[in-house]
Order: sequence, then structure tokens, then C-alpha cells
Amino acid sequence: MSTALRVEGLTKRFAGVTANDNVDFDLRPGEIHCLFGENGAGKSTLSSCIFGFYRPDKGQIFVRDKPVHIASPIDAIRHGIGMVHQHFVLVPEFTVLENIIVGTQRSGWRLNAQQARQKLKAICDGYGIDIDLDAYVWELPVGRQQWVEILKALYLDAEILILDEPTAVLTPGESRILFDIIRKMCARGLSIILITHKLVEVMQSDRVTVLRKGKVVATLNTPETSPDELARLMVGREVSFTVTKPDLQPGETVVAVDGLTARGHWGEAVLKDVSFSVARHEILGIAGVAGNGQKELFEVLCGVRKPEAGTIRLKGEDVAGLTPRCLMDRGVGHIPDDRFREGLVPEFSVAENLVLGWQRSPKYCNGPLIDSKAIAELSREMIAEYQIATRDEKVAAGKLSGGNAQKIIIAREFLHASGLMLANQPTRGLDVGVIEYVQAQLLKKRAEGFAIVLASEELSDLFNLADRIAVMFKGEIMGIVDPKTTTISEVGVMMAGRREGVAAPKERTLA
Amino acid sequence: MIRFEPRVESDALWTAASFAMAIAAGLAASAILLASTGADVLQVFSALLQGAVGSPKAVATTLVKATPIILTGLATVIAFRAQLWSIGQEGQVFAGAMGGYLGAQVLAGLPPLLFFPGVLAFGMAAGIALGWLAAVLKNRFGVNEIISTVMLNYLVVYLLSWLLQGGPWGESGGTISYHQSPMLPNEAFLPGMFGSSRLHAGVLLPFLAAAICALVMSRTPLGYEIRGLGYNPEALRHKGVNINRTVTIIMLASGALAALAGAIELFGVAHRLRADNLIGLGYAGIIVGMIGGLRPLGTVFAGLFFGGLASGAVYMRVLGDVPAALVPAMQGITLFFFLCAGVVARYRIVRVAVQ
Repeated sequence: MSTALRVEGLTKRFAGVTANDNVDFDLRPGEIHCLFGENGAGKSTLSSCIFGFYRPDKGQIFVRDKPVHIASPIDAIRHGIGMVHQHFVLVPEFTVLENIIVGTQRSGWRLNAQQARQKLKAICDGYGIDIDLDAYVWELPVGRQQWVEILKALYLDAEILILDEPTAVLTPGESRILFDIIRKMCARGLSIILITHKLVEVMQSDRVTVLRKGKVVATLNTPETSPDELARLMVGREVSFTVTKPDLQPGETVVAVDGLTARGHWGEAVLKDVSFSVARHEILGIAGVAGNGQKELFEVLCGVRKPEAGTIRLKGEDVAGLTPRCLMDRGVGHIPDDRFREGLVPEFSVAENLVLGWQRSPKYCNGPLIDSKAIAELSREMIAEYQIATRDEKVAAGKLSGGNAQKIIIAREFLHASGLMLANQPTRGLDVGVIEYVQAQLLKKRAEGFAIVLASEELSDLFNLADRIAVMFKGEIMGIVDPKTTTISEVGVMMAGRREGVAAPKERTLA
Repeated sequence: MIRFEPRVESDALWTAASFAMAIAAGLAASAILLASTGADVLQVFSALLQGAVGSPKAVATTLVKATPIILTGLATVIAFRAQLWSIGQEGQVFAGAMGGYLGAQVLAGLPPLLFFPGVLAFGMAAGIALGWLAAVLKNRFGVNEIISTVMLNYLVVYLLSWLLQGGPWGESGGTISYHQSPMLPNEAFLPGMFGSSRLHAGVLLPFLAAAICALVMSRTPLGYEIRGLGYNPEALRHKGVNINRTVTIIMLASGALAALAGAIELFGVAHRLRADNLIGLGYAGIIVGMIGGLRPLGTVFAGLFFGGLASGAVYMRVLGDVPAALVPAMQGITLFFFLCAGVVARYRIVRVAVQ
């Protein structure tokens, strides 16, 4: 059988670590072939070898059954291979058209805009991609920016397209549209390598190759497998998707938010009259499509954004407008959604990150000096307790995978907070195994008496964990529902802006 | 085929090797420059070496020349590590000398043990005031510190110019103005050490300051915050660090260190207030701090190296018969290669078999 691309016996080592170990992989014309595995399983290394970023130490790559030597991305493009990266490489101040022409021009110094425009028009029409070529990239939502990257590859006549975790930054709606486009591309003969660790996406592919610790565990026809089997293959053990949440009687109210209103950078209202309360032993879920005020809500609650009106009563005291320091000292913990920007200093070691924000605490100081010994000791305990995969506590946090970085934040926040935990998208972008762990931690802390505010774009997360779910739309709370008596689709309708139809126990939102 | 690949982890040996190569390349490039002026390269270099470390007197000169630039280098390190691009060291050096001179008028007659700490404190206070101004402009009004400190530099330099020419501190001999203050009284000279009048006691201060800086940066919560501010201010803000306060502390400390350089120059070297021996000390500190890898210990070494160059320059000019302007050119060349070495140290060379 002919293949669009074939990799035989590919091995790639980095400083003693074997990232790809004798990997065999093949891509049939017109199929979506998923590379599936945990962070660090070797998916990105394999695709980087195919695209010419790395050179394999051993092995051979075949394009259309001919052996090829790919020394650089330019070679890859010449062989008809295109790649869309997780983090876009676009110039925000340029238009869509300019972004595509710049850097894709093969020769000459004059930008041949007219010709390019015609070609792109044809591509867009063919795939049903609806994009204004003259719009500036900074004006586009993230989902559209990704289309620009895809267009770039198609413009270069790619026949094999590598998509590296394409939905990591997309809303559920944008992901759906992306998959529609992907299917159209396959129908026209393009072959697609999809890198992901989300099971929902794997199930939409034709075949799947599971990688674990650099080795191919299995290559399966997707329709003949199941999410459970794939998860087991990926992690190497049974994974439970449904966490058991014990019924707990909510205790006294920890935080009561009333009439909270806040404005954004340009004076636009980002939070409008938000009210809710959370009690001990309770998880309040925040549902909503990204960008509907969840981030701003967390920023106000943790003190980095000042509210315009409203009160936040923490154990009876109004703390609205206090600094992050004051709130931390009152026992508020915060797991931010952008972990490497807001939650960690990537250049700092694991140990230093574990005391971030508490570096002046007498616990970690010895007179005027930092007590590195005490911190190292604590770090080793935390690394063991939270199963942070790191060589030792001196490794820079930025070198860890997203899941392990998240564990550092969770460990730090639960270590220092008491009473209230704000968790914004704590499982975003994590592997199944780590998600399971994070969920278990949140439930454990709930049992210990924490009040938890949990926002997630994965509704399944919220239905698994939350005692009540508040749905946000354009900065407002559409309603607070009980997940036991509400369906996912009912919440979905509210996420789109419909107010709550069923009467929820309103008195519980006022406390 | 040979390729460069980014290193996963830094390698101390390779880092040392790249900087050794930088020195060699810097010397080689300087040699080409020297040869192009028609000078005898070997003779020039031996003169340079002799002037830098060839005799106790040469070593003393090297130390004296290194003193202010190590201090302005440390001022750079503290600010740049926090990604605060203060260029104000130049003006702060001037302010330090002016503050010190004012202190000398106010505190005249005090015993030396009170007088010298007092006048140095006066000098540092002037630098602190400048740093504070830049910090307030940044925190309160969002003025970029590069702009504000550069502007303040002009302000201070011209203030000194006015004070000395036509202003209250000038020395006028009849109708001529000398652009300098009258000589300080002998008891206001920083005492010499080891029987040398040249090697003043102030040369000890940069080493003390470097030790304190190293301790603060690596072992204290403040140093933790300064480093964190440079890497990721957003995370610090989220974790309750008062960014404005930290910025202010950094600007004050940086101003104090740079001003100390100016005050020491006044009481240890020039013994009168004048501009020409202060010019460039602040900017040289930026180079020294950068070459020192923005680390206190590295800055001491880089400062001594530049001090040696400055001290050897005199011999070079006399014995080697080359223009003095070549010394700053050599400093620039060295900086260039050191910056290259900083990049090279992050890569490794790999041999790739051609398939």
C-alpha cells in the first residue's frame, strides 16, 4: 500500500534522554492519523524530526515511498510537508495576506501580493474558510489566527499537514469548525498528522498511533478502539474518568460575593453584578466559554484587579479591593489559568517556586537570609507528596512539563492557603493521568474543608466535581444550577446567553 | 558537517572556554586595530601589561581605576537583573561627587572617622535622590526608566557645569574660570594605604559592596524578588509582591552605588570637584556589569580587567606611541566578544553525519 509519509526506525536522543526510540509510523494518503500520548511521550520530537527541526540520530523518512533527507523546514516544505504550531508565528501588526506572503516567498524581493491573493482566495473558497485577507491579525480571535497558519501551509502546497495540539487554545465551537476544515482537507487528498492528548479529538481520526516514553505502543484503527483502551495504552495503567465525589454537607459560608462589577482595560464592563457564595466543603463550578469574564472574576477575587462596585465577604470581612498580599495572608489560594506567566517564575527552581509569594515568611527565613535548607527539605516533601516528576528540587520549573508545573502551583497554593481556593482552568492542557490527579486533589481539599471556586471550559470537569455550577455569559451570571438535576446541554444553552429557566434555590446565592 | 544546537543545560567548562575564547578574540582584533595604526603590536601589549600589573604602583593604579567602575557596574547589575534598564549611573556618579562636595562643606572639621562616612553618605544621598526620582516617574506616571534616567543625566551634568562655571562652587583666578572647584583641604583626602598616597582606602569599598550585593541577590527575600522581577513580574504581582516598592528599592540602591563611585573619585583621586575625571564612569559601569554577566563577582573581575586596561593605557600611550583613543576602542571590542561568548555559551557544537 502506498503511503504519503513513512518513518522507519527513527531514534532521537537528547543529552542521554531517548525522546524517540526506534519509532515506525506511516501516514496514508487522505487520512487523519493521530499521534497520541502524554506530554513528553515523544510526539513533538517525532513531528519535529519530520518537519526538519531536529535531525534523527537513526532512521529513515520516506515521502510518497521515496527516501528523503530532511535537513531543515525548507526541505520539509519542498517535500510538501506543512506544520501548524501550537504557538502561532504571526506578526500581529500585519494583515492576514501580509503574514502569509512574508516568510513564504521563495525567491525575489518583490512581494507578489496580487497573485498570492488570488491563490489564497481559491484555497479559502475550496475549504470554506471564511477569513478577511486584509484584516489585521491582532483583530482576529485566536481561532481565526490558527486559520492563518493553516492557510500558510496550504499556500505552500502542503500535501502533508502536521497539526501540533491545534485545539489547545480554541473554544469548543472553534474546535468544531477546525475539525470541519480538517475533514474537508482530507476529502481533497491531504494527509494529516494530528498531535493531541485529548481523547475527544483522537476519536475523530482515522487511525491513531499511541506513544509512551518515546516508543510506539500501538497503531490502531480509531473506529475499532475506545477511549478507555486508548487512555490505558497512553498512561500504561487503568484510568478512571469518573471520580467519586462523596456527598458532604456544606459548612458555614467562606466567601460571599455580592453585586461585583469590574471594568476592563478599555473601560468596558467585564463583570456585571456578579453574586454568589461558597461554603466549606463545597466546590462552586464556573462554566462559560472562554472570555466571558471568568478570568476577570478570578483576578478580582485574588486581588490583582480592582472591582468597581460590590462586596466580597471573606469569613464576614469585606475584602473587595484588597491587594493580593492581604488576601493571601487571609488564606486565599489561587491557581491561575496561565501557569507559566501568572503562576510560576519559569527560570526559578522548583524549590524557589514552591515558596513564591511566601519568600518573606519567617518559616522560610533565617534572620534576614532565606533558609535554603528548610526550603529544599520542604520541596522534597512536596515533590514526593504531589508526585512532581523532576530530577530534584533545583531544576528550573520552566523545564518541567505543563502537568508537573501545574502540580508545583497546586502544591504551593494548598500548602499556604486555608479556607478558600480559586482554581481557574486547573486541568487545561494536561494529560489524562494528571487531570485525574488534579481532580482528586481538589476533592481531597474539599473534604478537608476548603471552599473552592473552580472554572473550567471542560463541562465534564464541572459535572464531575462541582456541587453547584454558575454559568457566566458576557460578565454576568446566567444562573446557578445543581449538576445533579441539570444536563450538560442545559448548561450549554445558558453558556450561549439564555437565562436560567428552572428556578434554582435562589436563597443559596445570597448568603 | 558541523551544527550549533541550543544546550539543554549549561556546562561550566564550555562557558569558561567561550569566555577565554572571547578574551583571545578580543586581543586578536585589538592587535589588528593596533597594527593598522602602524604600532608595534607586541611592544604595545607588553606596555599595556606593564602598566596594568607590572609594578606595585601599576597594580595600585589598576585598583584605583577599577574602583568606580566596579561600583557603577554593581549599580547596573542590581537594576538590570530586575530588567530595569537604568542608564542613570552616569548622572548619579556626578551627583555623588556633588553631594560629597556639599557634605565636605557641611561636615568640615569633624574627626575623620565621622567625616568620611558622613561625606560618602552625602554623596550616596544625592544618587538616591536621583534614583528615587526615576522610580517615582516610572511608578506614578509610567515613564520609561531609560528615558527618565538619560534625561536626568543631562540635568545633573549641566548642573555641575553651572556650579563650577559662574556658580557658587567655581574656582576663579582673576578673570579666568577653570571649570573646577578649589582643592579640598588635605584632611578631606581619603587616607592612602601601604604607604602609597595613590592607593586610597576607598578601593576597599567596591569589594565590600560586591560581597553585600552577592549576598543580597542570592540569599535574601529582596534578592529573590529582584531576580523574579527580571524573569516574570506578572507572577510576582499575582503572588503578592509589591512591584512598585521593589522597583523603588532597586532604583535607590542602584543610585547609591553609582553615587558612591563619584564620591570616592572626589575624595580619593581628584580631591576637587571637576567633571573630566567623572565622565564615562557610569557608562563604563554598564559595560562592566554586562561583561560580568550581571553577577557581582563577575562584575568585580570585569571591573579589574577594565581598570587594568585604563591603567595600562597610560604606559601604552607613552611606551607604545599609540593614540589614547584606542583604549576605549579596545574596551568596545572586548565587550562585543564577551556578548558573543554569552550567546555561544548557550549552544553546543555537534557533528552531524551527512546521510
